[in-house]
Amino acid sequence: MVNKMVLQNILHRPVRTAVSILAVAIEVGMVMLVVGLTTGLLHESAKRVEGVGADVLVQPPGASFFFGLTQAPMPVKIADRLAEIPRVGGVAPALFQFNSTGGLNLIYGIDMESFNRVTGGFVYHSGGPFEQPYDMLVDDWYAKANHIKVGQTLNFLNHSFRVVGIVEHGKGARLFIPLKTAQEMSGALDKASIFFVKCTDPGYTDQVITAIHQLLPRYQILSVKEYMSLMSSNNLPAMQAFLTVMIAVAVVIGFLVIFLSMYTTITERTREIGILKSLGASKTYIIEAILREAGLLAVVGVLAGIAGTWFARKVILASFPTLSVDLTIEWAARAALLAMVGSLIGAFYPALRAAQLDPVDALSYE
Amino acid sequence: MLTTDDWDLATTLMEPIIATQDLKKVFRLGKVDVPALRGVDLIVQEGEFLAVVGPSGCGKSTLLHILGGLTNPTSGHVLVDGNDFITMNDSDRTRFRRHKIGFVFQRFNLLPTLTARQNIAIAQHIQGNGFNPHRFDAVVEMLGIGGKLNHKPFALSGGEQQRVAIARAVICEPKILLADEPTGNLDTENSQIVLNMLRALNRSFRQTILMITHNPEAAAVADRVVRMRDGRIVSD
Repeated sequence: MVNKMVLQNILHRPVRTAVSILAVAIEVGMVMLVVGLTTGLLHESAKRVEGVGADVLVQPPGASFFFGLTQAPMPVKIADRLAEIPRVGGVAPALFQFNSTGGLNLIYGIDMESFNRVTGGFVYHSGGPFEQPYDMLVDDWYAKANHIKVGQTLNFLNHSFRVVGIVEHGKGARLFIPLKTAQEMSGALDKASIFFVKCTDPGYTDQVITAIHQLLPRYQILSVKEYMSLMSSNNLPAMQAFLTVMIAVAVVIGFLVIFLSMYTTITERTREIGILKSLGASKTYIIEAILREAGLLAVVGVLAGIAGTWFARKVILASFPTLSVDLTIEWAARAALLAMVGSLIGAFYPALRAAQLDPVDALSYE
Repeated sequence: MLTTDDWDLATTLMEPIIATQDLKKVFRLGKVDVPALRGVDLIVQEGEFLAVVGPSGCGKSTLLHILGGLTNPTSGHVLVDGNDFITMNDSDRTRFRRHKIGFVFQRFNLLPTLTARQNIAIAQHIQGNGFNPHRFDAVVEMLGIGGKLNHKPFALSGGEQQRVAIARAVICEPKILLADEPTGNLDTENSQIVLNMLRALNRSFRQTILMITHNPEAAAVADRVVRMRDGRIVSD
């Protein structure tokens, strides 16, 4: 009977119901998309580093494993000493360039020969390797997203680059320029931000890491497996803070809308609450009825939010092919829980207020 | 005014369903005390049909609200079916109301989003004894609303709404039916129908009814008429 009453009440005010459901759906969608985009960015970035094919990453002391955050160059000649370590099959230096004009792009300055040795070489969709200092390779996803073709000129870091090749994605960065050009542009002659080290067999990774530690004691040396495990928002304090703030904002929005919706509902239904009280409805009965109504709105909002998020993901990926949105059941469940709890807390005060209404005053409410 | 001896005698030997002694209710409006009841003594026996008449503001509705457990008296004694409201808290009075009291209001007070059937059934649900189809059918038949059960209040006439409200009030077989101007919003024909039904309930089921009214014709249906003025009973 209470469920019938709750359902009828919800259907009685379709606009308010729709707004409440929409608010919860936006809350759920916001949580899932922000987390999905953040983790998607990290995972996709990590997978590209894994796709280079190296077993060990060598970075200078104090460098961030989040490559875009630091250039931190080190002498490129270290590559020769790394190559002399037993079980090392190849060493590829790269210098990071972070472009922030017209979007955020991490550009690898690479030495084509050594990079090919570690990666096994690029797969060209069109064009070919660098021929001139200001030549550039672009991966297929970036090319598709920005409608780039071989021969086109692109402006990065106040320089014009000619696109000479479109390559298969998944090898570190989306944009590649010659190492020497990157060094000249950044004034870091004979420097590199990272060395990608490939072992003759992945089973020798630990041995090679031990040897590199002896050679470069203060340097940051990570196996690619370890790097992959570190690439989560938990290891990026700023990103974790960003996620926390965004989730909190989403929850507060949902809480406030449900609070306002239920508060106006209570005011509008003051007389009806008086009627229930005259029939002998207890405070618990009235609180339960209102919480059920908020709960039902939240459940529908959560379902709409989850469905909407999956749809939004399709739209985002179609519009921005270089983005990655990781939607997980775990985060859908967390977002649903946050929305449900937020909604019930938002409805609790109005419910309590309704339960405490004086029945005589409520019955005479106009 | 009932003396203490009269009160003891009345409440122990006569076992009335309603008994009040020196019942007072004072409302505080801002810094001003406004007395609504100034010492009401009333004895009602089970099965009586009592009409309370009087001008607006004489305290009729306040008396009905106190007898229904909707509000507390300021002082005095009030026994309803042997329960002393003075010693009961809000939860106890709510529980009492749920099982022992049925209300009929001037403005019908049906829940607008529910059908007539649901409006009646919700009283059973709140009482917690579950849906009783036999009782439901009997009440619906007696009140002649069988064809209107799936209608919502806005699709019912005033007379039909009041009949649904009466059905809701009596569906749980309350000890006392409290009717607050039940014909106040009805035309003559519907007023007569509603009064006849109250009369029938009283005669057929010995339903105790306390009805507040302005209407002398309505009051005439009752077994007994009590007149109130300025918060007191002036004739009985």
